[in-house]
Amino acid sequence: MSTIRSFVSAVGASLLVFAALDAAAHHSAAQFDFGQRVTVEGIIKEFSVKNPHTMAIVELSDEERGTRDAEFEGHSASHFYRAGYERGMAKPGDKIAILIAPRGDGEDGGFIQAFTVNGRTIGFGGLSPETGRPTASGSTSGE
Amino acid sequence: MPRKRPTTLLLLPAAAAALTCAAAAEPVPEHPDFTGLWMTYSGGAQGRASGFGRPGADLPLTEEGRRRVEEYRQLAGPERLNSATFCASYGVPTMMSLPGSYPIEFIQKPDQLTIIFEVGDETRRIYIGGEQLPPEQRLPSRAGYSEGYWDGDTLVVTTTDLLDGQDQPAHPFSEQATIDERFSLEEDENGTSVLTYQATITDPVYYTEPVTIERKYEPYDGFIIPYSCQDEIWFELLDMRREQLEAGEPVDARMSDVYAVREGKE
Repeated sequence: MSTIRSFVSAVGASLLVFAALDAAAHHSAAQFDFGQRVTVEGIIKEFSVKNPHTMAIVELSDEERGTRDAEFEGHSASHFYRAGYERGMAKPGDKIAILIAPRGDGEDGGFIQAFTVNGRTIGFGGLSPETGRPTASGSTSGE
Repeated sequence: MPRKRPTTLLLLPAAAAALTCAAAAEPVPEHPDFTGLWMTYSGGAQGRASGFGRPGADLPLTEEGRRRVEEYRQLAGPERLNSATFCASYGVPTMMSLPGSYPIEFIQKPDQLTIIFEVGDETRRIYIGGEQLPPEQRLPSRAGYSEGYWDGDTLVVTTTDLLDGQDQPAHPFSEQATIDERFSLEEDENGTSVLTYQATITDPVYYTEPVTIERKYEPYDGFIIPYSCQDEIWFELLDMRREQLEAGEPVDARMSDVYAVREGKE
């Protein structure tokens, strides 16, 4: 049902800049490899948009590792809401695709840089690392 | 989340006098009004918004300052722990650098400037004028005690009674530090209000000479979002005790049990 695949795009590159700064701002970024981007897909078990960091537990499944729960961290609730997140947007049982900076040790998990759920995408690359505001070319929400 | 907000007003003496005549019932501010929401200024180059990282190599550290910086590097470890991870306050002046690109709110009264940073709802108060807390009653804190006066259109502030700031990432300091701050308003060439904040840290323990940092802010057209993150661990303790209650067990879970569960997840 799910896969982990490499994901490289111009949007992804811009995401990295902001994610690296903010992750460094609030806690260690050492456990995440911001030099890589991968997309994971699975079923939400828990999606808690909170401070200082969002936490999501997603059920992943593939032939190599089977079915298991993986934990992902994300930006603060403030950054989620400013990026267009709305309460209840991501619920347990929803299918979700998440663009992450993966863990450096190769284990499941990573730092959320964008996600698509129920046809809506929330990304953080469109926020200026200096102002926290959406940039003119930034994509923060859409199909 | 745009909203209407009053335009920050800088009243020159002549204009103030004219307004006094026109609307005698309205109190006329005699000084710049910093009231409003602010965000890192985007119209010019300045250091990254985050107050994090490590102390710069060009800081004029004393030998003891270098020792403490190196010690903190080892304390923070390869994972680079920092206070925000644990919902501890940033303190002054780090909160003034708007780490993480969050807005900050200024609320000004004649005798007090209150500053609230979104992260952690961190609040500091600057008392302006003659009414000041006696020094012997000032409880040391990460925000310190801030006493201000007006020098023309510049609010000049002296912050003392600080707790040790070894964990302040960019500009660490000791409890002996004094921070002299200056707040002023101007407009840039595009007519945008720019609030300039300057802080000079004097600390004989860490620095051979005063260290000055500066940030510029611009008005932020949005809302402050509630940010308390200290609540969660309290709710976790309640959940743990609720499980005990529902299981008919002694309700005796302690905060150390909550931490143990958290550590187990890491």
